Amino acid sequence: MAKLKIEDLKKIKERVHAETALRDGERRAKITVHMGTCGIASGARDVMEALMKAIEEAGVTDVIVTTSGCMGLCSREPLVTVERVGEEPIKYESMNANKMRQVFKKHVLEGEIQTPFVLARGAEIVK
Amino acid sequence: MKVFRSHLLLCGGTGCHASGSLSVKKALVAEMAKRNLTEEIKLVETGCNGFCAMGPIMVVYPEGVIYMMIKPEDVPELVEEHLVKGRILERLLYREPTTEAVIPTMQEIPFFALQELRVLRNRGLIDPERIEEYIARDGYAGMAKALTEMTSGEIVQEMLDSGLRGRGGAGFPTGLKWKFCSASPGDIKYVLCNADEGDPGAFMDRSVLEADPHAVLEGMVIAAKAIGAHFGYIYCRAEYPLAIHRLNIAIEQATEMGLLGKDILGTGFDFNLEIYQGAGAFVCGEETALMTSIEGKRGMPRPRPPFPAIAGLWQRPSVLNNVETFANVPQIILKGAAWYAGVGTEKSKGTKVFALTGDVNNVGLVEVPMGTTLGTIVFDIGGGIPKNKKYKAAQLGGPSGGCIPVQHLNASVDYEKVAELGAIMGSGGLIVMNEDNCAVDMARFFMDFCQDESCGKCTPCREGTKRMLQILTNITQGKGKEGDIELLEEMAGIIKDASLCGLGQTAPNPVLSTIRYFRQEYEEHIRNKYCRAGVCSALFKSPCQNACPVGMDVPAYIGLIRAERFEDAYRVLLKTNPFPSVCGRVCDHKCQSKCRRGKMDEPVAIKFLKRFITDSAPRPRVDPVPVTRKERIAVVGAGPAGLTAARDLALRGYSVTVFEELPNPGGMLRWAIPSYRLPRNILDGEIDDIRGLGVEIRCNVRVGKDLPFEKLAKDYDCVYLATGAHKSTKMGVPGEELQGVWGGVEFLRAFNMDENAWMKGARTLGSKVAVIGGGNSAIDAARCAKRMGADVTILYRRERKEMPAAEEEVTAALDEDIKIEFLAAPLKIEGKDGQVTGITCERMKLGDFDRSGRKRPVAIPGSEFTLAVDAVVAAIGQVPDMAFVPKDSGVVINKWDCYDLAKDSQSRTTNPKFYAGGDAVTGPDTVIGAIAAGHQAAADIDSDIRNALGEPAWEAPAEEKIDVPLLIDEETQEQPQTKMPELHGAERTTSFAEVELGFTRELAIAESCRCLRCDAEV
Repeated sequence: MAKLKIEDLKKIKERVHAETALRDGERRAKITVHMGTCGIASGARDVMEALMKAIEEAGVTDVIVTTSGCMGLCSREPLVTVERVGEEPIKYESMNANKMRQVFKKHVLEGEIQTPFVLARGAEIVK
Repeated sequence: MKVFRSHLLLCGGTGCHASGSLSVKKALVAEMAKRNLTEEIKLVETGCNGFCAMGPIMVVYPEGVIYMMIKPEDVPELVEEHLVKGRILERLLYREPTTEAVIPTMQEIPFFALQELRVLRNRGLIDPERIEEYIARDGYAGMAKALTEMTSGEIVQEMLDSGLRGRGGAGFPTGLKWKFCSASPGDIKYVLCNADEGDPGAFMDRSVLEADPHAVLEGMVIAAKAIGAHFGYIYCRAEYPLAIHRLNIAIEQATEMGLLGKDILGTGFDFNLEIYQGAGAFVCGEETALMTSIEGKRGMPRPRPPFPAIAGLWQRPSVLNNVETFANVPQIILKGAAWYAGVGTEKSKGTKVFALTGDVNNVGLVEVPMGTTLGTIVFDIGGGIPKNKKYKAAQLGGPSGGCIPVQHLNASVDYEKVAELGAIMGSGGLIVMNEDNCAVDMARFFMDFCQDESCGKCTPCREGTKRMLQILTNITQGKGKEGDIELLEEMAGIIKDASLCGLGQTAPNPVLSTIRYFRQEYEEHIRNKYCRAGVCSALFKSPCQNACPVGMDVPAYIGLIRAERFEDAYRVLLKTNPFPSVCGRVCDHKCQSKCRRGKMDEPVAIKFLKRFITDSAPRPRVDPVPVTRKERIAVVGAGPAGLTAARDLALRGYSVTVFEELPNPGGMLRWAIPSYRLPRNILDGEIDDIRGLGVEIRCNVRVGKDLPFEKLAKDYDCVYLATGAHKSTKMGVPGEELQGVWGGVEFLRAFNMDENAWMKGARTLGSKVAVIGGGNSAIDAARCAKRMGADVTILYRRERKEMPAAEEEVTAALDEDIKIEFLAAPLKIEGKDGQVTGITCERMKLGDFDRSGRKRPVAIPGSEFTLAVDAVVAAIGQVPDMAFVPKDSGVVINKWDCYDLAKDSQSRTTNPKFYAGGDAVTGPDTVIGAIAAGHQAAADIDSDIRNALGEPAWEAPAEEKIDVPLLIDEETQEQPQTKMPELHGAERTTSFAEVELGFTRELAIAESCRCLRCDAEV
C-alpha cells in the first residue's frame, strides 16, 4: 500500500463513513459482536459462529458482520449490537448461540426486536 | 390422503437441534408407538421457527399450542396429557414475554450515562483490527498535528498544560517527565509503553489494547516527537495474547500505511516500535525492572537516580508511560490542553479508567471524570452490591493500595484524596468487597501476592513480606498473639523505608490500611478467635453457627432433621437458646446471610427448620433446679434478655426473681410483636419452662413505683436491668400532640394489651391510617391496623432496599394490600378540634452517603402533599425509658438514654451491684441479640460472685452427648429454598391467625437435605 500523506487521512475518514453508513437498498443491517477477552471468555466465539452459520443458511448477503472490543459492561457479555437500516442500534446482552439465531431470524431478518434479551438501544455519547 | 387428528410440528432448526430436538423426536416416536398413536398423529420436523432461545419448540395442531424447552423426559407426560387426555400441559407452554418492556436508551442506563469517554471513546464502535475505522474516528489526526504543526517544546507544553498525570499509579505529571527527557542530551532515546498490568482485578490496559490499539501507538509517536526518540517498545505480558495479537496487527497496518516507520506521513519523522513480551513478573511493572527486563536481564529494579529520563533503557534517556496515559495523548494534542483540563479536580485533571470488579452488580470497565465520588462509581455506575449485601470496602491500587471503607463513600476519587485515605489511585483496579470479606484475610491475600512477587533484591522486602505473611496467616488461623498488630505496623514501616522499588515500598499498604479501618476485626481474631465475616474457617465450625450471636449449632439440628430425630434436634436447640420456637418465627436469622448454600442458589431456610423442630417434636421435660446458692438475684424486665439471664442463673443454683411492670412476661415479644407472627401460646410455653426451673416472675410491679429502686438494691445481691426500649422516638413535627397520633411501640402495646377490644371496634384508629417508618415495628403496626379494617399507608423516607425491616415482612405487608410511599417524610400533622385529620409530607430524593453507606434522603422543595388520615403511627425508633433510675444510684445513663457499662465488662454497669443488657444497653436490637446479652450477664454475675468469694469457676454439668450423623448427597443440584406455606384469603387480613403455617414433615426433610454440611471435617 502506498504511504499515506496527511490529506489521505481525511479521505480515508470520508470513505469509511460512507461505507459504514447503512443506506437503504444496499445493506439491510450491521451486526457487531463485541469480542474483547471478556466477551470471548463468556462465549462470543460461539455466538459469532452461530451467526455466521445462520447467515449462510439463510443465504443472506446484505448483512455486515463485524467485531469490536469490550464495551465496558463485562458482566453482561457476550454483547451484540444489531443496527438495521434507518433504525437505532439495539444492544443485546448475555447472548448465546441460540439467542443469536433467534435475534438473527426475528430481528435482523424480520425486524422484530427481541426485547427479553435487550440491554439498551442507541449508542454511547462521546462528548 | 391419510387424515391425522393431530399434527406435531417439531422444530428442526440448528438452534433446536443444538438444544436437543433430536432426542425429543426420538422420545416422541417411541412414546407414540407405545401408545399406538402413530396412525392418528403425525410428527413433522420443520425448519427453524425463530424461537431458538426457547428451543426445542413444538407446535401442536389443530390447536396451535406452542410448547417450549421440551426435554426427552417431558415427552411421556406431554403425550399423556395433551395427545391422550386433550389437556394442555401448562408448565411447558410458550409464554409471550408479558411485560411490554420499554427498551431504555444507553443514556438512560446509569452505567453508561455517568461515564465520560475519552480513553475509551472508541469502545464497541470500531473494529480494532481495521486501521481505517480508527482513522475514521479522527485517529492519527493528533499525531499529524504534532508532527506537522508543533515543535517538541510545544508538545511538552501542551502536555504540561493539560495536567495529565501518569495513569500507571504514581500520578507523576506526564508533561514534566517528557520535559526532563526532552532536555536530556543524547541522540538515541526510547519511548516505552508499560503494558505489564499485573494487579489482581485490574484489566484496563488489556481492554484498551484490545479495543483500540492504535490510540496507544499514536500516543507513543507523539511522545517520540516530543523527546526526540526514534524507537520504542511496548512491554506487554504474555498472558495477554489477544492484546498482543491486535497490537501486532495494528503495528503492521500502521507501518504499511506509513503511520509508523520511516518518514511518517511524509513529514520526515521516523519512529519504529516493537512489542516485548514479559513473562508476567509483577516487579517488571516497576520502571527500572521493566527496562532491565527488556535489556535481556533478570527483571530487578535498580536505584534511582539516575532517573530513566536521564539514563533509562540501555542507559539512554527514556520515557516510560503506561497504556492509558498514552491513549490520552492524541486527544489532548488534537483538542487542546484546555479541553482536557475541562474535567477533573484542581490537581487531578481529565478522566480515569477503572476496572470495576468484585462484589458489584455491573462488573466492567468504567471511565469517569477525576473527582467522581466512590459511591457514584460503586452504587450508581456499578449498580450496588449483589444480593442486597452491605458494602464493606473498595480496594484501590491492588496489592500496592489500600481500602476505602463505608464511611468514605462520598470521597472524591482523585490522587490526593485517595492517598489521604490510605489507598492509592494505582492503575485503576477497583475491587468492591461486601460484608462477607474479612479484613485480615484480605490483607493476608495481598501480602501473599507481594511475598510471592518480591524479586528478592532487597532483604526487607524479601524477608519482611514473608514474616508479615506468617503473622497474618497465624491471625487468620486463630494463632494470633497480643502485640501482633503493633509488630505488623513496625515491620511495615521498615519495609516501606528500606526497599528500593515500588513493590516493596507499597507492599505493606493493604495491611496498614486494613489495620487503620478494621483494627477491631484484627483484635477480634486475636483475642476472641472470632471472624465476623465468616471467612477464616479455622476459627469456627460452620459459618451459620459463627454468625449466630448465641452460637446455635445449626448443622447439628439440621442434620438431625434429615435423620428424622426431631427430639434430639430440639435438645440441641435448647442447649444455647431458651426461646427456639420464638426464634423459629421472628429471628432476623443472621445465620442465613452467611450460609454457604447461598453462594450456590439460596441459603438454607434455617429459621423455618428451627420452627419445624419445635412444632413437631414434644417439648423436652423441665424439672426444677434446686437452689444451692445463698445469693439472691433480681431481674428487672421479663423480656428475652431478662428471662434468659434468669434461666441461666437458676440453672447455676441461684434464687432468681423477675420483676415486670406489665401484666404478662415476654417484653417486646408479647407487647410489640403481633400474634399473627408469634402466637401467644407459643411464647407462653417457653416462658413456662423458665418458671418451671424455679424462677419467680412477678408481674405488675414497676420498679421505682411499686418497688423502690433502693429496696431492690438492698434486698438483692445482684440486679440485672433488662428494661428494654419501650418509648417511641418523637418525629419532631408540629401536631404530634394531637389525638390520634401514636408512637409505634405505644400503639402495639395498647393493641396487644386488649386485642379483642380493638378487633371488636371498642377501640379504633379510624378508617385511614398512616404509619411512619421502615423498620419491623412500622410493618407490625401497619399489618395490625390492616387487620382492624383500616386503609393503611406506610411512609418511608428512603427506598425499599434501605428498609431495615425484614425483607419477608415487607413482602407480606405488600401482599396484604398495604401501600408504601417511598421517599416521603412527614412535615406536619394536620388536625381539627384536637383530632388528627391528615398528614402533610414532603418528597425526598437521595443525596450523598451517610456513615452506614445508605444514601441520605434530602427534601425536595415544594413537593409537599397531604394525606387525609384518622391516625398517625410514628414507628421511627425507640429509646429506653430510664425515669425509674435514681440519679444517685451510681448507675450511669448515657446520652442515648442507655445504661453505660463498666469499661472492663460486657454487662456490669458503673455500680458493681447492677448489671444491664438487651435493648436498654444497645438501643433497639434483635431478639437473638437480647438472648445473647442475657447469657453474657448470667455468666458475668456468676463469675463475679464466685471471684469475690474466691470460689472456683462454675462448671456446667456434663451434657449428654447427641451424636449427629453426617448424611450428605454425593452431588448437589441447584434448588431454591423451600417456600413457607402461608395463610391466604380473607382470614389472613381480618384475624390474628398465624400467617406462616410451618413446614410439613416432608418439606422440612427436603429442606434439611439442602444443607451442605460445611461443618464436616474430612
